[in-house]
Amino acid sequence: MSVEASSTLQPRWLLDLNAATQSKPKHGALPDPPGYSPPNALQSNRSKNAKSVTTRKAPSSEEMDTLKLKKAWEMAIAPAKQLPMNAFGMYMTGNSLQIFSIMMVFMLFKGPIQAMFNIQSTFQRLESEGNKQQMILVKAAYVGCNLLALALGIWKVNGMGLLPTTRSDWLAWESAREPLQRAFYVP
Amino acid sequence: MLARLLILAVSSLLLRPALAVFADEAWNIDYHYALLGEPQQDTTFFHQPYAGSRASLVYTLSNKGALGAVNPRDGSLIWRQLLASNGSTSTSTFLRAGENADVLFSGIASQAAAWSAGDGRLVWEVNVAGDVKDVEILELSDGSATASGSKDALVLSGSDSHALVQRLDGATGTVKWQHNLESGDIPYQVSASTTQVFAILLHKTMLGYYKIKVLSLDPVTGHKTDEYTLSSENELTSTDGIIAVGANSASPIIAWTDATHSVLKVNIIGTKQIASFNIEKSGEEAVQQIQIHAPHHSTALAHFLVHFQTATSHWAEVFHIDLKRNKIEKAYDLPKLSGKGAFATSTSDANVYFTRVTDGEVIALSSASHGVLGRWPIAGFGVASVPGEAIEPIRAVSELSIKGDLVSAIRTAVLLSTGDWILLREGTSVWHRPEGLAGTFSAAFSVPAPVESFVEKLEKEASINPVQAYILRIKRHIEDLQHLPAVIVTLPQRFISGFLGTSADGDIGSDSFGFHKIIACATEGGRLIALDAGAPDRILWNRKIGNVALTESALQSPALGVFSLAGTPGIGPQYFNASSGAVLPGLPSTSLAKEAADSDISQGIQFTLENGGLQAYDTNARQSALWSFAPMPNERIIGLVSRPVNDPVASIGKVLGDRRVLYKYLNPNLALLTTADDKAKSVNLYLLDTISGSIMHSSSHQGINLDDPISSTMSENWFAYSFTSDASPLAPKGHYLVVGEMFESLVPNDRGPLSATTNFSTLDLNPQPFTLVHSYQIPESLSHLTVTQTRQGITSRALLAVLADSHAIISIPYMALDPRRPVDRDATTDEQMEGLFRYAPVLEFDPKWYLNHRREVAGIKHVLTTPALIESTSIVFAYGLDVFGTRLSPSFSFDILGKDFNKFQMLATVAALAVATVGVAPLVMRKQINMRWQFT
Repeated sequence: MSVEASSTLQPRWLLDLNAATQSKPKHGALPDPPGYSPPNALQSNRSKNAKSVTTRKAPSSEEMDTLKLKKAWEMAIAPAKQLPMNAFGMYMTGNSLQIFSIMMVFMLFKGPIQAMFNIQSTFQRLESEGNKQQMILVKAAYVGCNLLALALGIWKVNGMGLLPTTRSDWLAWESAREPLQRAFYVP
Repeated sequence: MLARLLILAVSSLLLRPALAVFADEAWNIDYHYALLGEPQQDTTFFHQPYAGSRASLVYTLSNKGALGAVNPRDGSLIWRQLLASNGSTSTSTFLRAGENADVLFSGIASQAAAWSAGDGRLVWEVNVAGDVKDVEILELSDGSATASGSKDALVLSGSDSHALVQRLDGATGTVKWQHNLESGDIPYQVSASTTQVFAILLHKTMLGYYKIKVLSLDPVTGHKTDEYTLSSENELTSTDGIIAVGANSASPIIAWTDATHSVLKVNIIGTKQIASFNIEKSGEEAVQQIQIHAPHHSTALAHFLVHFQTATSHWAEVFHIDLKRNKIEKAYDLPKLSGKGAFATSTSDANVYFTRVTDGEVIALSSASHGVLGRWPIAGFGVASVPGEAIEPIRAVSELSIKGDLVSAIRTAVLLSTGDWILLREGTSVWHRPEGLAGTFSAAFSVPAPVESFVEKLEKEASINPVQAYILRIKRHIEDLQHLPAVIVTLPQRFISGFLGTSADGDIGSDSFGFHKIIACATEGGRLIALDAGAPDRILWNRKIGNVALTESALQSPALGVFSLAGTPGIGPQYFNASSGAVLPGLPSTSLAKEAADSDISQGIQFTLENGGLQAYDTNARQSALWSFAPMPNERIIGLVSRPVNDPVASIGKVLGDRRVLYKYLNPNLALLTTADDKAKSVNLYLLDTISGSIMHSSSHQGINLDDPISSTMSENWFAYSFTSDASPLAPKGHYLVVGEMFESLVPNDRGPLSATTNFSTLDLNPQPFTLVHSYQIPESLSHLTVTQTRQGITSRALLAVLADSHAIISIPYMALDPRRPVDRDATTDEQMEGLFRYAPVLEFDPKWYLNHRREVAGIKHVLTTPALIESTSIVFAYGLDVFGTRLSPSFSFDILGKDFNKFQMLATVAALAVATVGVAPLVMRKQINMRWQFT
């Protein structure tokens, strides 16, 4: 209320000047109605008005490392979180060789392998001098989770009968025994 | 009209499932010669199928015992009846047709029968004791026969000691009278005049000569009225000396000659005088054959023609019979012509005409005078032979129509020395029927010479070092360039035929699928006839062969492009070029097949059927048997089959539904021996290892009908056999098909005691196979079994079976016979994945299995199969009486586009897409540019 009361006293250019801090609404070319200010702008206004500008204290490098490590762990575990969903999906697609299940299996293999190749770039921005030691553990966990996803893929491929694990897969390399003698019928 | 339409609709509905092959392949990939066998002189004639018919048909009772009617316009078979069940007859056969009668009388073996001339239906049938010796028509109008319009038949029958003359009612076949001839003389023939019936018997004198005895009988009552004997003992040493006995009053004669053909004696039946005519010697050459041609119709003039044949020339004399004075006079001579000739008699009202067919001319003559009525040169017989061989006429029948004093039309059906039966209209050949093929006793496949030389070149390239091989190949391609102009000329034609979907069958030179195999058939008529399996409407060549052993395996193809024909014992095999039929001096020495064959045989073991048992010898030391298999004392061997020499197996195991493997027992040295015990009515089957002689599997079946065919076959790791069991208190009469499959072990993934050794000898360690057997009850007996063959054995096999009773050939897929079909339970999921389904003891023949679809394939005795160049297809050829061939794809044609594939549509689609792409490109370009520059 006090804002409204004070705004009535101030000239328009002053109002515009004060309100210019907030950005334009993203959508719509229409300007905000006069006197309306978005809540965040209002808050910053108020805080500006209420107290003196207190600059937040920049986090220390230790704190930064802890944060980065936390974030890195989160990223490392993420593939494992997808596992149950993937497993369910694979189970639902069945073991028949169809274009849909083949695509799913292909994606299942492509994801982890790509992730493991890009492991350096994934964790690059979270890596620093301080957390290098811990990051190795994180990366190992990441690789482990991706290997788990790969194992799921192999399980699926095996289910589809694409792995040469049985005798029949090697039958073509087995040859018939040659007879040492031949007999011929003479009429 | 409505009823006919209805019947048509119903029959078309019924016929639909009977199409065994795809509709676009039927009549296209298969071929069929519906044959009769070689027509005989006395049992072939032109005859109107019913009184007043304008067109006549050619009727014949052939040497294979097939009675049939052929349309003289196009040579198509109108109807056919197989009178001899086994296909060949040693006894004489008779076929008679009365003037204007619609019934034919036939006599063969112990059966006399009457057939409707129009459609070939049986009117009646009488079985007599002994053999039928003669059938004649009684041209008599005594009031009793005219009621139905059909004339009665006279049948002389009996064995050597006891004979019987019967008069059978023409309409019903009932016996009107019969006369027993108890004299102990040999019944020979019967002849009928309007007032008397004569039975001609042969009386054998003490010295072994024959006297002709004539009995005359009353035609109404059958009582004997007279009997006399002709003194023929000076000439007749055997029954072969009797040339002819006339059938009726148009030729009331008995004619005979002596063994050296020096004198011709003729007697008019009913008199005792014998007219004697000296046969002129024609230079040094002896007369080989004398034939008498007399009219068959009783109303015709009593004129006859005597045909003399020597090795190089022939002539004829015409005689007239004066019935009032009982005299025979020679009317005129026909000039001597070189080569063989055939004569035919035809009548028009009472006039008698003779037709003379030589290798270059057809000549028509009247019996009254020697003037030539017509003379037509023969441009060519239009049949295949080999260069340098003269085609000669053997027998002829003719029909001519007379306008005034001129012959307005003449049709002559001639049997040629090539075994072809052709029809000459005037002097031009209208059609030909390869009746010689009906006597095929052995057949074999070979590849044409171009293919053979190509294969040899490729094999040579493979055997030498790469650089030389490369030079050879370049040379070969340069040589191929010579054919380029010819190829370019044929290109448009090939494109057009490609569009029309007929490109699968090119000519014999460019055979990319291997369908153009050459099939050679050795016939009982002493001919070797070659067909092209890809273009079967044409006979490639037809050549004479010498004396050969009439065995099923006489003809072989020992090397590519070569046929070998086993000679009689003591004479080595003859070799023939498969493409041209030319005689080869021996197997080509360059052929790789020969070397392979030689090396194979030299270190092998031979086994053969000897002394009622099976004996095996070492090829190099034939003194003592390696082993011998003797059946039980009262058993006789009725069949022996071994695995085909070339029997490729693609997979050595069977993959189960759970991806484990059952290993097949693959032993190339296996033979299935079938023995029969006549006393115990049992059949025993022994599966023998032919190296060691040990029995690998045996089975015995009791209560078997041994008269029905028992057939067996083997392939890969399985065998099949079929038999018919008699009715017993426990089971009704039934036909059975038994299939057995052998495995190294019934435990999956186990290769048995030999495990993974690379070679084996059954002499060292001979583990028994584990055999699974299923038996099926089938609706019909199978007279012959064989298995399809493909190039690499990847395609599943099918069992080919001949149904002798329904004149069909079926192919039973192995899947339907698999001995692993689960019994008394439904198949599990794994088993279903293998294609197994629940065992049912009754196996009905699926109409889709019939290879002959709507055709009637009669008298098939043997079926041959050979692989084509493409894996999916096996080429099938069946022979016996008919000749039938087709191509078979047991696993469907997976490596070749079917006829239904529309090449035109495919190309049109590509073209339309190309046009659309080009046409739309500017539009798309403009749109893309606009998108960049315009704001909406």
